[in-house]
Amino acid sequence: MGVINLGEPRVGTISRVAPKPIKFVLNWGRRYSLWVFNFGLACCAIEFIATSMSRHDFIRLGVIPFAPGPRQADLMVVSGTVTDKMAPAVKRLYEQMPEPKYVISFGACSNCGGPYWDSYCVTKGVDQLVPVDVYVPGCPPRPEALLHGILRLQEKIAGESLGERYGPASPVPVAQPQAESRPPSPAVLRRPLQRPPQPTSADRPEDPPEASPENPPENPPREPPQPPESSSGQRPDAAPRPGPLPPPNSVRGPADPSEPNLFLP
Amino acid sequence: MGRVGGTHTSGGVPGIGLAKGLAVTLRTMTRRSVTGQYPDTSPELPPRSRGVIALLEENCTVCMLCARECPDWCIYIDSHKEAVPAPEGGRPRSRNVLDRFAIDFALCMYCSICIEVCPFDALFWSPEFEYAEYDILDLTHERDRLREWMWTVPPPPAHDSRAERPKELSAAEGAEGRPGRGPRG
Repeated sequence: MGVINLGEPRVGTISRVAPKPIKFVLNWGRRYSLWVFNFGLACCAIEFIATSMSRHDFIRLGVIPFAPGPRQADLMVVSGTVTDKMAPAVKRLYEQMPEPKYVISFGACSNCGGPYWDSYCVTKGVDQLVPVDVYVPGCPPRPEALLHGILRLQEKIAGESLGERYGPASPVPVAQPQAESRPPSPAVLRRPLQRPPQPTSADRPEDPPEASPENPPENPPREPPQPPESSSGQRPDAAPRPGPLPPPNSVRGPADPSEPNLFLP
Repeated sequence: MGRVGGTHTSGGVPGIGLAKGLAVTLRTMTRRSVTGQYPDTSPELPPRSRGVIALLEENCTVCMLCARECPDWCIYIDSHKEAVPAPEGGRPRSRNVLDRFAIDFALCMYCSICIEVCPFDALFWSPEFEYAEYDILDLTHERDRLREWMWTVPPPPAHDSRAERPKELSAAEGAEGRPGRGPRG
Protein backbone atom coordinates (compact mmCIF):
# COMPACT_ATOMS: atom_id res chain seq x y z
CA MET A 1 0.00 0.00 0.00
CA GLY A 2 1.19 3.42 -0.79
CA VAL A 3 1.50 6.07 1.81
CA ILE A 4 -1.49 8.37 1.89
CA ASN A 5 -0.69 11.81 3.09
CA LEU A 6 -3.80 13.07 4.79
CA GLY A 7 -2.32 16.32 5.95
CA GLU A 8 -2.75 17.83 9.34
CA PRO A 9 -6.27 18.01 10.69
CA ARG A 10 -7.22 21.66 10.70
CA VAL A 11 -10.07 23.81 11.82
CA GLY A 12 -12.49 24.55 9.00
CA THR A 13 -12.79 27.99 7.55
CA ILE A 14 -16.40 28.32 8.52
CA SER A 15 -15.76 27.97 12.22
CA ARG A 16 -13.15 30.71 11.98
CA VAL A 17 -15.43 33.27 10.43
CA ALA A 18 -18.49 32.21 12.38
CA PRO A 19 -20.51 35.03 13.94
CA LYS A 20 -20.24 35.66 17.60
CA PRO A 21 -23.25 33.68 18.90
CA ILE A 22 -22.13 30.65 16.95
CA LYS A 23 -18.64 31.05 18.35
CA PHE A 24 -20.08 31.22 21.81
CA VAL A 25 -21.92 27.96 21.30
CA LEU A 26 -18.89 26.32 19.75
CA ASN A 27 -16.66 27.46 22.55
CA TRP A 28 -19.19 26.31 25.09
CA GLY A 29 -19.19 22.88 23.52
CA ARG A 30 -15.42 22.68 23.35
CA ARG A 31 -15.04 23.89 26.86
CA TYR A 32 -17.06 21.17 28.50
CA SER A 33 -16.05 18.19 26.41
CA LEU A 34 -12.31 18.06 26.58
CA TRP A 35 -11.15 14.59 25.75
CA VAL A 36 -7.86 14.45 27.47
CA PHE A 37 -4.76 12.65 26.37
CA ASN A 38 -2.45 11.98 29.25
CA PHE A 39 1.16 12.27 28.32
CA GLY A 40 2.36 10.89 31.61
CA LEU A 41 6.11 10.74 31.70
CA ALA A 42 7.09 10.71 35.35
CA CYS A 43 5.73 11.01 38.84
CA CYS A 44 3.36 13.87 38.02
CA ALA A 45 1.35 11.34 36.04
CA ILE A 46 0.37 9.77 39.35
CA GLU A 47 -1.26 13.01 40.36
CA PHE A 48 -2.97 13.17 37.01
CA ILE A 49 -4.33 9.67 37.55
CA ALA A 50 -5.46 10.65 41.02
CA THR A 51 -7.31 13.56 39.50
CA SER A 52 -9.09 11.28 37.09
CA MET A 53 -10.17 8.90 39.84
CA SER A 54 -13.25 9.16 41.97
CA ARG A 55 -11.81 11.37 44.68
CA HIS A 56 -11.28 14.36 42.41
CA ASP A 57 -13.04 13.14 39.30
CA PHE A 58 -12.45 15.69 36.59
CA ILE A 59 -15.27 14.25 34.53
CA ARG A 60 -17.32 16.62 36.66
CA LEU A 61 -15.66 19.42 34.73
CA GLY A 62 -16.21 17.78 31.39
CA VAL A 63 -12.70 16.44 31.02
CA ILE A 64 -12.99 12.92 29.74
CA PRO A 65 -10.01 10.66 30.26
CA PHE A 66 -9.05 7.60 28.29
CA ALA A 67 -9.23 9.02 24.84
CA PRO A 68 -8.41 6.17 22.47
CA GLY A 69 -5.47 8.08 21.10
CA PRO A 70 -4.23 11.51 20.24
CA ARG A 71 -6.39 11.65 17.14
CA GLN A 72 -9.47 11.63 19.30
CA ALA A 73 -8.20 13.98 21.97
CA ASP A 74 -8.65 17.72 22.45
CA LEU A 75 -6.39 18.31 25.38
CA MET A 76 -2.93 17.00 26.07
CA VAL A 77 -1.67 17.06 29.62
CA VAL A 78 2.08 16.70 29.64
CA SER A 79 2.90 15.55 33.12
CA GLY A 80 6.45 14.65 33.85
CA THR A 81 9.99 15.09 32.71
CA VAL A 82 10.27 15.51 28.98
CA THR A 83 13.58 14.05 27.99
CA ASP A 84 15.22 14.83 24.71
CA LYS A 85 14.66 11.29 23.66
CA MET A 86 10.94 11.60 24.29
CA ALA A 87 10.67 15.02 22.69
CA PRO A 88 10.05 13.84 19.09
CA ALA A 89 7.23 11.65 20.31
CA VAL A 90 5.64 14.53 22.18
CA LYS A 91 5.83 16.70 19.10
CA ARG A 92 4.54 13.97 16.84
CA LEU A 93 1.59 13.03 19.01
CA TYR A 94 0.71 16.68 19.43
CA GLU A 95 0.63 17.10 15.69
CA GLN A 96 -1.74 14.17 15.38
CA MET A 97 -4.39 15.83 17.49
CA PRO A 98 -7.25 17.50 15.65
CA GLU A 99 -7.02 21.16 15.66
CA PRO A 100 -8.79 22.95 18.41
CA LYS A 101 -6.16 21.42 20.64
CA TYR A 102 -4.88 22.52 23.96
CA VAL A 103 -1.90 21.64 26.08
CA ILE A 104 -1.57 21.82 29.83
CA SER A 105 1.92 21.62 31.17
CA PHE A 106 1.61 19.93 34.53
CA GLY A 107 4.41 20.15 37.01
CA ALA A 108 7.80 21.73 37.27
CA CYS A 109 9.54 19.32 34.91
CA SER A 110 7.30 19.96 31.97
CA ASN A 111 7.11 23.66 32.75
CA CYS A 112 10.79 24.34 32.49
CA GLY A 113 12.76 21.24 33.29
CA GLY A 114 12.28 21.47 37.03
CA PRO A 115 15.03 19.95 39.13
CA TYR A 116 16.63 18.66 35.95
CA TRP A 117 17.03 21.99 34.23
CA ASP A 118 20.76 21.51 34.34
CA SER A 119 20.69 18.05 32.85
CA TYR A 120 22.13 17.30 29.47
CA CYS A 121 19.23 15.18 28.32
CA VAL A 122 16.13 16.89 29.66
CA THR A 123 14.11 19.27 27.55
CA LYS A 124 13.83 22.56 29.36
CA GLY A 125 10.12 22.70 29.27
CA VAL A 126 7.60 21.21 26.91
CA ASP A 127 6.89 24.70 25.61
CA GLN A 128 10.01 24.38 23.56
CA LEU A 129 8.23 21.74 21.54
CA VAL A 130 4.56 22.57 21.50
CA PRO A 131 2.62 25.71 22.45
CA VAL A 132 1.34 25.43 25.98
CA ASP A 133 -1.92 27.00 27.10
CA VAL A 134 -1.81 26.61 30.87
CA TYR A 135 1.15 26.03 33.14
CA VAL A 136 0.36 24.33 36.43
CA PRO A 137 3.13 24.83 38.97
CA GLY A 138 4.06 22.28 41.56
CA CYS A 139 6.41 19.41 42.14
CA PRO A 140 4.08 17.60 41.83
CA PRO A 141 1.04 19.82 41.90
CA ARG A 142 -1.95 18.83 43.93
CA PRO A 143 -4.80 17.22 42.05
CA GLU A 144 -6.83 20.31 42.83
CA ALA A 145 -4.13 22.36 41.15
CA LEU A 146 -4.76 20.42 37.96
CA LEU A 147 -8.47 21.06 38.39
CA HIS A 148 -7.69 24.73 38.74
CA GLY A 149 -5.56 24.60 35.63
CA ILE A 150 -8.44 22.98 33.78
CA LEU A 151 -10.73 25.73 34.99
CA ARG A 152 -8.28 28.33 33.75
CA LEU A 153 -8.15 26.55 30.40
CA GLN A 154 -11.93 26.52 30.20
CA GLU A 155 -11.99 30.24 30.84
CA LYS A 156 -9.49 30.67 28.06
CA ILE A 157 -11.51 28.54 25.66
CA ALA A 158 -14.64 30.47 26.48
CA GLY A 159 -13.02 33.73 25.55
CA GLU A 160 -11.03 32.69 22.55
CA SER A 161 -11.63 33.06 18.87
CA LEU A 162 -10.32 30.37 16.60
CA GLY A 163 -9.70 32.87 13.85
CA GLU A 164 -7.18 34.56 16.07
CA ARG A 165 -5.78 31.31 17.32
CA TYR A 166 -5.32 29.61 13.97
CA GLY A 167 -5.54 32.49 11.57
CA PRO A 168 -2.76 33.18 9.09
CA ALA A 169 -1.79 36.42 10.77
CA SER A 170 -0.81 35.03 14.13
CA PRO A 171 -0.59 31.27 14.07
CA VAL A 172 0.28 31.07 17.73
CA PRO A 173 -1.51 33.02 20.45
CA VAL A 174 0.97 35.47 21.75
CA ALA A 175 0.30 36.75 25.22
CA GLN A 176 0.33 40.50 25.19
CA PRO A 177 2.69 41.73 27.85
CA GLN A 178 1.15 44.21 30.22
CA ALA A 179 3.75 46.29 31.87
CA GLU A 180 1.65 46.93 34.95
CA SER A 181 0.34 43.52 35.85
CA ARG A 182 3.40 41.54 34.92
CA PRO A 183 6.68 42.89 36.16
CA PRO A 184 9.08 40.22 34.88
CA SER A 185 9.44 40.61 31.17
CA PRO A 186 11.90 38.34 29.38
CA ALA A 187 14.35 41.18 29.05
CA VAL A 188 14.22 41.68 32.77
CA LEU A 189 14.71 38.03 33.48
CA ARG A 190 17.70 37.74 31.19
CA ARG A 191 19.41 40.90 32.13
CA PRO A 192 22.70 40.94 33.98
CA LEU A 193 22.85 41.70 37.64
CA GLN A 194 20.88 44.70 38.67
CA ARG A 195 22.79 47.78 39.63
CA PRO A 196 21.86 49.47 42.84
CA PRO A 197 20.11 52.77 42.44
CA GLN A 198 22.63 55.50 42.85
CA PRO A 199 21.30 58.34 44.88
CA THR A 200 23.48 61.04 43.42
CA SER A 201 23.08 60.17 39.76
CA ALA A 202 20.30 62.72 39.30
CA ASP A 203 22.27 65.81 40.18
CA ARG A 204 25.41 64.53 38.57
CA PRO A 205 26.34 65.42 34.99
CA GLU A 206 25.71 62.79 32.37
CA ASP A 207 29.09 61.21 31.86
CA PRO A 208 31.73 62.13 34.38
CA PRO A 209 34.73 60.05 33.47
CA GLU A 210 36.03 59.77 37.00
CA ALA A 211 34.73 60.26 40.48
CA SER A 212 34.73 63.94 41.19
CA PRO A 213 36.13 65.14 44.51
CA GLU A 214 32.71 66.37 45.64
CA ASN A 215 31.47 62.83 45.77
CA PRO A 216 29.92 62.13 49.12
CA PRO A 217 32.05 59.91 51.32
CA GLU A 218 29.50 57.06 51.52
CA ASN A 219 30.23 56.32 47.89
CA PRO A 220 33.54 54.51 47.84
CA PRO A 221 35.63 54.99 44.72
CA ARG A 222 34.13 52.65 42.17
CA GLU A 223 33.62 52.30 38.50
CA PRO A 224 32.43 55.24 36.47
CA PRO A 225 28.87 55.72 37.58
CA GLN A 226 26.16 54.77 35.19
CA PRO A 227 22.46 55.06 35.41
CA PRO A 228 20.99 51.63 36.06
CA GLU A 229 19.21 51.45 32.72
CA SER A 230 22.32 51.91 30.65
CA SER A 231 24.15 48.92 32.01
CA SER A 232 23.92 47.27 28.63
CA GLY A 233 26.05 49.94 27.08
CA GLN A 234 29.22 49.22 28.92
CA ARG A 235 30.47 46.26 26.97
CA PRO A 236 28.51 45.11 24.00
CA ASP A 237 29.63 41.52 24.33
CA ALA A 238 28.84 41.28 28.02
CA ALA A 239 25.40 42.76 27.83
CA PRO A 240 23.23 39.86 26.67
CA ARG A 241 24.91 37.43 28.98
CA PRO A 242 23.40 36.74 32.36
CA GLY A 243 25.33 37.09 35.57
CA PRO A 244 27.92 34.69 36.86
CA LEU A 245 25.23 32.15 37.78
CA PRO A 246 23.13 31.71 34.69
CA PRO A 247 19.54 31.72 35.82
CA PRO A 248 17.52 28.95 34.28
CA ASN A 249 15.24 31.41 32.62
CA SER A 250 18.10 32.33 30.41
CA VAL A 251 19.01 28.75 29.78
CA ARG A 252 15.73 27.83 28.30
CA GLY A 253 14.89 29.37 25.03
CA PRO A 254 11.76 31.27 24.19
CA ALA A 255 8.60 29.31 23.62
CA ASP A 256 8.51 30.13 19.98
CA PRO A 257 7.39 27.30 17.77
CA SER A 258 8.51 29.17 14.70
CA GLU A 259 12.05 28.39 15.68
CA PRO A 260 13.67 25.57 13.79
CA ASN A 261 12.98 22.38 15.62
CA LEU A 262 16.10 20.51 16.50
CA PHE A 263 14.41 17.20 17.07
CA LEU A 264 12.48 16.71 13.90
CA PRO A 265 13.64 17.05 10.34
CA MET B 1 -11.51 -8.81 29.69
CA GLY B 2 -12.94 -12.00 31.09
CA ARG B 3 -16.18 -13.52 30.17
CA VAL B 4 -19.38 -11.95 31.31
CA GLY B 5 -20.66 -13.92 34.24
CA GLY B 6 -17.49 -15.89 34.66
CA THR B 7 -19.33 -19.20 34.73
CA HIS B 8 -16.26 -21.22 33.97
CA THR B 9 -14.00 -19.76 36.60
CA SER B 10 -16.14 -19.51 39.70
CA GLY B 11 -17.44 -22.92 40.51
CA GLY B 12 -19.84 -23.34 37.69
CA VAL B 13 -22.71 -21.50 39.28
CA PRO B 14 -24.24 -19.54 36.41
CA GLY B 15 -24.57 -15.85 36.96
CA ILE B 16 -22.28 -15.65 39.98
CA GLY B 17 -20.17 -12.97 38.36
CA LEU B 18 -23.19 -10.84 37.69
CA ALA B 19 -24.32 -11.27 41.27
CA LYS B 20 -20.91 -10.23 42.55
CA GLY B 21 -20.93 -7.17 40.40
CA LEU B 22 -24.37 -6.21 41.56
CA ALA B 23 -23.31 -6.74 45.14
CA VAL B 24 -20.56 -4.19 44.69
CA THR B 25 -23.06 -1.83 43.16
CA LEU B 26 -25.48 -2.26 46.02
CA ARG B 27 -22.78 -1.83 48.62
CA THR B 28 -21.48 1.40 47.19
CA MET B 29 -24.91 2.72 46.35
CA THR B 30 -25.75 3.31 49.98
CA ARG B 31 -22.48 5.04 50.84
CA ARG B 32 -21.72 8.67 50.47
CA SER B 33 -19.63 9.70 47.53
CA VAL B 34 -15.99 10.43 48.21
CA THR B 35 -15.73 12.95 45.42
CA GLY B 36 -14.61 16.37 46.53
CA GLN B 37 -16.47 19.17 44.82
CA TYR B 38 -13.36 21.24 44.30
CA PRO B 39 -14.32 24.41 42.48
CA ASP B 40 -17.38 24.79 44.71
CA THR B 41 -15.81 23.73 47.97
CA SER B 42 -12.20 24.24 48.88
CA PRO B 43 -10.37 21.08 49.81
CA GLU B 44 -9.37 20.34 53.37
CA LEU B 45 -5.64 20.56 53.16
CA PRO B 46 -3.47 18.89 55.74
CA PRO B 47 -1.51 21.14 58.09
CA ARG B 48 1.81 22.43 56.78
CA SER B 49 0.70 22.02 53.20
CA ARG B 50 3.26 23.21 50.72
CA GLY B 51 1.37 25.34 48.32
CA VAL B 52 3.31 28.50 47.69
CA ILE B 53 6.17 30.27 49.42
CA ALA B 54 5.37 33.59 51.04
CA LEU B 55 7.95 36.23 51.81
CA LEU B 56 7.85 38.50 54.81
CA GLU B 57 10.25 40.98 53.37
CA GLU B 58 10.46 43.02 56.55
CA ASN B 59 12.37 40.11 58.05
CA CYS B 60 14.68 39.57 55.14
CA THR B 61 18.25 40.65 55.72
CA VAL B 62 19.53 39.62 52.28
CA CYS B 63 21.78 36.99 53.74
CA MET B 64 21.31 34.98 50.51
CA LEU B 65 21.16 31.70 52.39
CA CYS B 66 17.93 30.67 50.70
CA ALA B 67 19.24 31.43 47.24
CA ARG B 68 22.44 29.55 47.94
CA GLU B 69 20.80 26.51 49.42
CA CYS B 70 18.07 26.23 46.82
CA PRO B 71 18.72 23.01 44.89
CA ASP B 72 17.11 24.46 41.80
CA TRP B 73 18.50 27.98 42.06
CA CYS B 74 15.02 29.29 41.58
CA ILE B 75 15.35 32.25 43.96
CA TYR B 76 16.57 35.51 42.54
CA ILE B 77 17.84 38.15 44.94
CA ASP B 78 19.28 41.51 44.08
CA SER B 79 20.40 43.88 46.76
CA HIS B 80 22.69 46.75 47.46
CA LYS B 81 24.34 48.22 50.50
CA GLU B 82 23.35 51.48 52.00
CA ALA B 83 25.43 53.49 54.41
CA VAL B 84 23.57 54.49 57.51
CA PRO B 85 25.25 57.16 59.62
CA ALA B 86 26.03 55.93 63.09
CA PRO B 87 23.94 57.49 65.83
CA GLU B 88 26.81 58.87 67.92
CA GLY B 89 29.42 59.60 65.37
CA GLY B 90 31.87 56.97 64.32
CA ARG B 91 32.01 54.84 61.28
CA PRO B 92 28.82 54.77 59.22
CA ARG B 93 27.14 51.40 59.33
CA SER B 94 26.30 49.59 56.13
CA ARG B 95 22.97 47.92 55.69
CA ASN B 96 21.64 45.56 53.03
CA VAL B 97 18.63 46.70 51.10
CA LEU B 98 16.58 44.25 49.09
CA ASP B 99 16.09 45.25 45.48
CA ARG B 100 14.52 42.17 44.04
CA PHE B 101 13.28 38.94 45.53
CA ALA B 102 11.69 36.54 43.10
CA ILE B 103 10.90 32.86 43.19
CA ASP B 104 10.39 30.98 39.96
CA PHE B 105 7.56 28.64 40.80
CA ALA B 106 7.84 27.00 37.44
CA LEU B 107 11.15 25.67 38.65
CA CYS B 108 10.67 25.32 42.39
CA MET B 109 10.66 21.77 43.66
CA TYR B 110 8.90 22.63 46.90
CA CYS B 111 11.60 21.07 49.02
CA SER B 112 11.25 23.68 51.80
CA ILE B 113 14.99 24.04 52.22
CA CYS B 114 14.84 27.80 51.79
CA ILE B 115 12.26 28.04 54.54
CA GLU B 116 14.30 25.91 56.88
CA VAL B 117 17.56 27.72 56.35
CA CYS B 118 16.08 31.19 56.68
CA PRO B 119 17.60 32.41 59.93
CA PHE B 120 15.18 35.30 60.39
CA ASP B 121 11.88 33.63 59.48
CA ALA B 122 11.23 35.58 56.35
CA LEU B 123 9.87 32.68 54.30
CA PHE B 124 6.74 30.73 55.05
CA TRP B 125 4.61 28.08 53.47
CA SER B 126 1.18 29.05 52.36
CA PRO B 127 -1.30 26.33 51.39
CA GLU B 128 -2.58 28.22 48.35
CA PHE B 129 -2.22 26.27 45.15
CA GLU B 130 -4.39 28.17 42.70
CA TYR B 131 -1.84 30.03 40.65
CA ALA B 132 -1.76 28.23 37.33
CA GLU B 133 -0.89 30.72 34.62
CA TYR B 134 -1.24 31.16 30.88
CA ASP B 135 2.30 32.42 30.56
CA ILE B 136 5.29 30.86 32.20
CA LEU B 137 6.80 34.23 33.00
CA ASP B 138 3.90 34.92 35.32
CA LEU B 139 5.00 31.99 37.44
CA THR B 140 7.99 33.99 38.58
CA HIS B 141 6.50 35.78 41.54
CA GLU B 142 8.18 39.02 42.37
CA ARG B 143 8.49 40.37 45.89
CA ASP B 144 5.16 42.16 45.99
CA ARG B 145 3.33 39.05 44.96
CA LEU B 146 5.30 36.97 47.42
CA ARG B 147 4.39 39.50 50.07
CA GLU B 148 0.74 39.16 49.16
CA TRP B 149 0.93 35.43 49.78
CA MET B 150 1.92 36.24 53.32
CA TRP B 151 -1.68 37.05 54.14
CA THR B 152 -2.65 33.48 53.39
CA VAL B 153 -0.13 31.86 55.69
CA PRO B 154 -1.99 29.99 58.44
CA PRO B 155 -0.86 30.10 62.04
CA PRO B 156 1.35 27.18 62.99
CA PRO B 157 -0.61 24.17 64.13
CA ALA B 158 -0.87 23.64 67.85
CA HIS B 159 1.39 21.15 69.48
CA ASP B 160 0.07 17.85 70.66
CA SER B 161 -1.42 17.99 74.10
CA ARG B 162 1.33 15.93 75.73
CA ALA B 163 4.16 17.05 73.57
CA GLU B 164 7.36 18.48 74.92
CA ARG B 165 7.30 22.20 75.45
CA PRO B 166 8.98 24.29 72.79
CA LYS B 167 12.59 24.93 73.68
CA GLU B 168 12.25 28.59 72.89
CA LEU B 169 9.63 29.05 75.59
CA SER B 170 11.65 27.22 78.21
CA ALA B 171 14.75 29.16 77.33
CA ALA B 172 12.94 32.47 77.50
CA GLU B 173 11.39 31.70 80.86
CA GLY B 174 14.67 30.43 82.23
CA ALA B 175 16.38 33.62 81.16
CA GLU B 176 13.68 35.67 82.83
CA GLY B 177 13.79 33.82 86.13
CA ARG B 178 17.55 34.03 86.48
CA PRO B 179 18.51 37.08 88.51
CA GLY B 180 21.38 39.40 87.82
CA ARG B 181 21.64 38.77 84.16
CA GLY B 182 20.87 41.72 82.07
CA PRO B 183 20.41 41.82 78.38
CA ARG B 184 23.62 41.12 76.66
CA GLY B 185 24.63 41.98 73.16
